[in-house]
Amino acid sequence: MHPTFILRPVAASLVLMAAFAGQAHAQATGKPNCGLNNGKKATGEPIAIGAVVGKTGPDDFSAPALAAAAYFKCVNENGGIHGRPIDYVVADDQWNPETATQVAGKLVRDRKVLALVGNSSFVECGANAKLYEQENVMVIAGAGVPRECFFAKNYAPVNTGPRVSGTLVAAHMAKTHKAKKMVCIIPNIPSLGNWACEGAKGWGAANGVAVETIAIDPGSADATSVMLQAAAGKPDVIILNLPKGIMVPMLAAAEQQGLHKKIKFASTTPAYNADVPKTIGKTWDRAFDVHLEFMPVESNGPDNSNWKAVMAAYADKAAPRDSFAQGGYLAARIATEALLKLDAKTLDRAKVTAALRSVKGFKSDILCKPFYVGDGARHNANSSGPIAQVNAGSFKQLTQGCMTADEPELADVRADEKRLGL
Amino acid sequence: MDMLLPFLVSGLGVGAVYALSGVGLVVLFRASGVLNFAFGAIGALAAHCAWSVLEADGGQALAWAVAIGVSMAVSLAYGRLLAPALAERDTSIRSIGTLGLALILVGFAEWTWGEGPRRLVLPTDADGLEFGDVRLTWTRVLGLATAVAMMAAVGLLLARTRVGLRMRALADDRGLSALLGVRVLSVDGVAWALSGAFAGVCGMLLANIVRLQPTLLTFLVIPAFAAAIVGRLKSLPVTVLAGVVIGVLEACAILLPGFAPFRTAVPFLVALLAILFFRNTTRKA
Repeated sequence: MHPTFILRPVAASLVLMAAFAGQAHAQATGKPNCGLNNGKKATGEPIAIGAVVGKTGPDDFSAPALAAAAYFKCVNENGGIHGRPIDYVVADDQWNPETATQVAGKLVRDRKVLALVGNSSFVECGANAKLYEQENVMVIAGAGVPRECFFAKNYAPVNTGPRVSGTLVAAHMAKTHKAKKMVCIIPNIPSLGNWACEGAKGWGAANGVAVETIAIDPGSADATSVMLQAAAGKPDVIILNLPKGIMVPMLAAAEQQGLHKKIKFASTTPAYNADVPKTIGKTWDRAFDVHLEFMPVESNGPDNSNWKAVMAAYADKAAPRDSFAQGGYLAARIATEALLKLDAKTLDRAKVTAALRSVKGFKSDILCKPFYVGDGARHNANSSGPIAQVNAGSFKQLTQGCMTADEPELADVRADEKRLGL
Repeated sequence: MDMLLPFLVSGLGVGAVYALSGVGLVVLFRASGVLNFAFGAIGALAAHCAWSVLEADGGQALAWAVAIGVSMAVSLAYGRLLAPALAERDTSIRSIGTLGLALILVGFAEWTWGEGPRRLVLPTDADGLEFGDVRLTWTRVLGLATAVAMMAAVGLLLARTRVGLRMRALADDRGLSALLGVRVLSVDGVAWALSGAFAGVCGMLLANIVRLQPTLLTFLVIPAFAAAIVGRLKSLPVTVLAGVVIGVLEACAILLPGFAPFRTAVPFLVALLAILFFRNTTRKA
């Protein structure tokens, strides 16, 4: 056996151990810790990594890529990938599937990126999943939303997604308020629509809770009618599985109709935004529960503190410090650690894809459980999360631990986990 | 009927603001022959300015004054500075010119305030008229009352006052009116300022009833167009009635299972049906 076969993994392990030791030190001092963390600027041949995000369009959905960019900047200032800097190229799909295909094609075929990291888009999963599989390029997405993001072989989002988030918050409300009848409200967006509420419905059917879905037109001016329709069946709980821009008027309409006095309200992760408690007002104080895809942004765990330090040192002040940014940071960390295990001189797409697929047991206090990718036909590794409640103009974590989703659609994911020995 | 009642009540509020917007569009069209595509964007800008005043604890009176002041100023500025350059072109070109203003205003609002979640709260939200399980908030009652009052006031202005007569003369033939001594720019200015005031009030009410978001408020001009088309861009009572009916139909469409997720199409359908109906009646005549 050639000695390099033994030396290479040993060297890589030593480097990673040094990096982790450095991480503990850096967290103690409040300085960001990234990659090799050796303070030396990477000057070698750049490694092309891409991302596709929905920046311009109905909403700016690029927070994960901004956080990933900050982490990669930090990595490049700290030794890069064994001396090679990451050239992170972020493309805007403008919330347009055709544009998403064009920009992904440019990144994958022209720029020949080795992987995509920190993606977040409402349209690109459906448009590009096949391309990524054909080109054998792996995506570690910062935030997946539509169904296709969780049903693709080469697309692994680090977040739970709206469906699992809906299931978890429904289970929480049933347990806390002994609810037997719920309504789940979802925007009528292709590939999101009813799917994102069907998890709660399936969970409810198995647990004696009736969950009705109402799909709404996100462009409709009339939130009051939606709330009245939801309230007509006299549910115990209304779950809002909506972007925050649509959710706030729904809560306002519910408040105007006095529904908050009769019905409990809850939401999936999009409500977890620092502006939301202040915007919705005092009526919803201790009366609005939200599932979080990650641990709270204020939490003081070492990795969450490192995320904040990275954002403070390498991100623009205007870049959001929200759960989507946590997702982007995690995606970048996962990719960096996978790349550091490889020989930087001989990196190619096949090796990077294989390294990303072999990610297993990735730990972070931002996540409830260790993250993995694996070789499964689809990926939904994150299916847990805590619950927070609006409290005095902010959020307060309600559950100490994490809840884990129990729904039939995750059966194949659970089977993969068993096969991988997780 | 019991099932329908909540949505009838809910649709009344939104419909009233559509009606008010429709009146604002018709008054400008009848005076200057311009269909103002920037009506929603002017309202959105006004509502965001008012929100900023409220956030700075400026109080409701100042917020309303700023909203109406800003909308009148923007509308008047366009009407006096840019619209005269297109005055000799046909109606469609004059109207499309306002699209440019709409794009600039919506871009400015997006750039200044962004897409963050916001809420414009009015003191009239807290209570209202109770109809069984449904509440018609005082804001919505205010919208309805304002729509009817403005319809009557603008009707009187156009039919019974000198400035109203001049406005109608201007819309009929600008050149001839000028030859007859009508002070074209002044009369035009009154129409643009009045339409701006309508945009400001509608922007405030829609931002409260619907949501405070620049793009959405800009495009809420569409149901108002539908109402104005039903009124053939002429009749104020028909415009008001059409606005209310569109709001109520849109709300009641939520009860149609297959159609409910697409109920924003109601104003388009109403406008299309109106155009078809008018074409048939014109042919018969």
